[in-house]
Amino acid sequence: MTQTTQATGHLDPDLLNAFIDGELSPTESNGIQQHLADCHPCALRVLSATQLKTATARAARRFAAPPEALARLAAQLRPQESKRTARSYSFRSVAWAGLAAALVLALSLGGWWQAHQANTLSAELLDQHLATLSSGASPEVLSTDRHTVKPWFQGKLPFSFNLPDVLPADTTLKGGNLAYLNGQPAALLLFTIHKHEVSVFLTQRSGSPIATPLPGTRSGFSIHSATTHDLRIVAVSDVNPADLDLLVSAIEQTQSPR
Amino acid sequence: MSSDTTSASFEQLALPLLPSLYSHAFWLCRNHAEAEDLVQETLSKALRAFDSFQTGTNFKAWVFRILRNTFLTSRTGIAASRTVFLEDHPDLLGTTDAGPTPEDHLISLNNQAAVNQALDQLHPPLREVLLLCDVEELKYKDIALVLDVPIGTVMSRISRARRTLHQLLQPQRGESL
Ligand SMILES: [Zn+2]
Repeated sequence: MTQTTQATGHLDPDLLNAFIDGELSPTESNGIQQHLADCHPCALRVLSATQLKTATARAARRFAAPPEALARLAAQLRPQESKRTARSYSFRSVAWAGLAAALVLALSLGGWWQAHQANTLSAELLDQHLATLSSGASPEVLSTDRHTVKPWFQGKLPFSFNLPDVLPADTTLKGGNLAYLNGQPAALLLFTIHKHEVSVFLTQRSGSPIATPLPGTRSGFSIHSATTHDLRIVAVSDVNPADLDLLVSAIEQTQSPR
Repeated sequence: MSSDTTSASFEQLALPLLPSLYSHAFWLCRNHAEAEDLVQETLSKALRAFDSFQTGTNFKAWVFRILRNTFLTSRTGIAASRTVFLEDHPDLLGTTDAGPTPEDHLISLNNQAAVNQALDQLHPPLREVLLLCDVEELKYKDIALVLDVPIGTVMSRISRARRTLHQLLQPQRGESL
């Protein structure tokens, strides 16, 4: 027993840790268990230390990886996507390309368009959408200034839109790009809310036969849509749905009243 | 072996570790964008060094060691390492622990917010060793490999880290005595 206890006859702190961390041999563990059976203070210490270990793990797991970050990293591991060209992209471009890949994955897993617009958003358009995000690298227009972003789209799209004067708290405009959604040219606006990336697609409502609201959540992503007289707004992100709603509402309300 | 075989098995080994690598990277950098960059660079380094990985040894420990070394040579890491990561402050990392008194057991663990806060406050090298032990569930010998320290140092840091958490979670009563 002298090996498993300190001079006081109780468990040495290092030994107690080794015990709860499963570092001891069966013989050593048995010796400790015998002591614990007879020693209330040490049994309490072991219980307390075990609880602390569990609580520490729980506290540490608060910062889980955002799904789109994991998707980007997973894409990096796939041989065909870890080619040298991929490395030459700027970090942001890889990020946005990965976001697109994550979206496609999330959306295809959820199959939301199969339910609502089975044939309208074809694989070809999806590819176009992906290509827009990945080949063009960073957003075509990279700016946090709505006075820069909005005019950039003029002449590139058959419709126009407004951007809110004031965005919800901790929401930042990052830039914009052209995209295709549901077979239509779309303005893709990139935002961050609490550092989560958000894609907002604006398309012309008249050209879109489908007006059914999209489902709220798929595979960890929230999908929110709204329609104005002229526009359909679809936002996708892994940020919490309430914050995403605030952004969609802000964009919706800033469009010209019907 | 062909490079295809190499990358396939590297992917197989690394893919399940992405959430852990990211989470640990976040704790090192305390920033999401930097954490992702760090994991990205770690994966790229690990793939290049994969030939030197010895089959049968712990891949997780091997890649966490690369993560840590990559962090320490990053801008954030260099800034942090001068003060906290490389120097072993004897007062912070030493083994001068007295055994806990019975009062030390009476901490409130039903308050997860308090535990979260205590972990945030913990000196980074102490937090690091606890994360490797309690969250990543690495064995002491693998933690020693990640941190590049003797196993005895791992044990004393774990001991010190838990003792500090206990103290941080104590009611303020101790100070008024
Ligand atoms: Zn005892």
